[in-house]
Amino acid sequence: MTQPIIELAGITRILKGQEEPRTILDGVDLTVHPGQSVAIVGRSGSGKSTLLSILGLFDRPDQGTYVLDGQDISRLPERKAAKLRSSHFGFVFQRFFLLKHLTAAQNVAMALVNGQGWLPRRQRRARVLEALDQVGIAHLAKNRPTRMSGGEQQRVAIARALVRDPRILLADEPTGALDTETGTAVIEALLSATHRGCSLVLVTHDRDHAARMGRTMSLVDGVLTERVPV
Amino acid sequence: MRRLSGSYRSALIIGVQGIRARKLRTLLSMISLFLGVLAVVTVQAGASIAERALMSDLELRSGYDGTLIIDVMPHEKSPAIVTETVKGSDAVALIATQAIIGEPGVSPINPGAAPFDQGSWGTTDICDDSGNCVPGPPTGEAIEVALTAVTGDLMTYRPLRHVSGAWLDFSTVPSMSPRLVINEEAAKGFQNHQVPAEMRVNGAKANMTPQIVGVVNDGDVQPRAYVRHDELTNWLPAASMSDPNMGMPLQVMTTKGSAVEQVLTAKLRGAGIESYANLTESRKQMEDQLKLMRLVFLSMAGLVLLIGVAGILNVGLATVGERVEEFALRRAVGTPRLLLAGIVLAETMLTGLLTAAAAIGVGVAGLKVVSMVLGSREPLLQGVQFPWDAGVAGIIAGIVAGVLGGFIPALRAAGIPIATVMRA
Repeated sequence: MTQPIIELAGITRILKGQEEPRTILDGVDLTVHPGQSVAIVGRSGSGKSTLLSILGLFDRPDQGTYVLDGQDISRLPERKAAKLRSSHFGFVFQRFFLLKHLTAAQNVAMALVNGQGWLPRRQRRARVLEALDQVGIAHLAKNRPTRMSGGEQQRVAIARALVRDPRILLADEPTGALDTETGTAVIEALLSATHRGCSLVLVTHDRDHAARMGRTMSLVDGVLTERVPV
Repeated sequence: MRRLSGSYRSALIIGVQGIRARKLRTLLSMISLFLGVLAVVTVQAGASIAERALMSDLELRSGYDGTLIIDVMPHEKSPAIVTETVKGSDAVALIATQAIIGEPGVSPINPGAAPFDQGSWGTTDICDDSGNCVPGPPTGEAIEVALTAVTGDLMTYRPLRHVSGAWLDFSTVPSMSPRLVINEEAAKGFQNHQVPAEMRVNGAKANMTPQIVGVVNDGDVQPRAYVRHDELTNWLPAASMSDPNMGMPLQVMTTKGSAVEQVLTAKLRGAGIESYANLTESRKQMEDQLKLMRLVFLSMAGLVLLIGVAGILNVGLATVGERVEEFALRRAVGTPRLLLAGIVLAETMLTGLLTAAAAIGVGVAGLKVVSMVLGSREPLLQGVQFPWDAGVAGIIAGIVAGVLGGFIPALRAAGIPIATVMRA
């Protein structure tokens, strides 16, 4: 089997600053291989988003090791973390976070104009159109988010996540604000990325969507366990 | 040309997008900053124009910056030594004497070549019964001028301003009828008082018939006439031109370190004649005069600029507060904190630059209008050009205000946690 892209071992995250420190993640182990899709399910407050934050280098664990692509990045300085976020990760959030004053293409290009290397305008445009095409909305490139439906906006957000050809897609309840049909289409778009070797970690409440992933993990009180399909 | 790095280009692109997306806020920032930058531009432009005018006046009176003026004490041998030494060189000797232009034997209306409007020179007071006196009409019938005989083109060292007629022509054969270029004060005398044109000079073999060929502004309040030295010496023996009893000074204008300076100094020392060399440092003299004035006005402009900075800071903080999610998202897609700060600074700097451009435009237009309206009354403003250093000062003020006003918002933007997008 290929080398895992993500290896978490004993990841613990304790929330301080309150009366009593609260353990959000308690010794989480997780291994994700290239092209693999993993669903993380759990109740609200179970630590799903915190886990995703640590996976996406938004946050640092208090204990445990995080090996990304064979490199221990548990204590990575922010500057290098920003570089890795740009080169390895694509993010899709429940709210789409599209900038209203920019067109769909400009919103996607945001991930390319981030100070991590420079692409000439022509190449940038080609990459953006390719990403929009992957999610089936290349024809909406010049539209602003205010003139798009929720599903279209989420596709733009997915295109933004895909435009740098990430190794890992992290999606935090991407269908939470969408109807069932549109949500299914969005999941399709995310899964299609795994066919190109991109790993997908999906945080969701939706059991149907979780069932479509290769693996399903359950997070209960900060402890991650694998769900075996019955 | 070296191209900008990806980070700078990213900051500029995003900064421009930000400005275009928030035109009204940008305009509000610009309004608060505009007056500050305009104040800096105005102070700098005013100081530059005043500096030029002052410099021009100083040069008119003292000569171009760097001119070496050698004052030679009166001595019977000095005219001969000086004229012989400067002959054929770039140096110019100025020999001063007095001349009375009028009928033989008549007294001048301004004895001692006094200015015409100064007191009641040359007049007899007319008093009424109660003892109130007013100056009466001039009692003389001639005009006395300070006469400066020059051995070469004085304009090389002193930028006398042409008013009318011509300047002395040194390329022609010396005329027996000395050609005079008079200054404006002398011209005023000749305009107001019709006098027969015959010129008396102390020590001259005979009275001369002068030709007035031109009028210049030499910045002198005393009526003065300039004459070619060789035309004057046709009538006046060289020895009489520096009579120790008369105390007539002799001046040589040259450049520092020139051969004339060294030879002349040696010759004068050999003859036991005292001389003093003074280097004209108009710019230094003027800068000393302007330094304090400029400092006071720039401080005032700086205060106004600070108000503009506070405006940018205020709008900047509000804008960053509104864009928390955008900045968190940008960090999520890999934008480093430093670039986020750079984006905010790029926006405020561009705003500052736009403001500076607007203030400079208004400054240029304002100066043009002032020049058109007041130019006829104030020669200083005639055809005055907008000083480039005022433009540079405006641009610098705009950029500095942008950086100062954007600094704290930039720090705020860089400190926004990425988790903001997760918790939203």
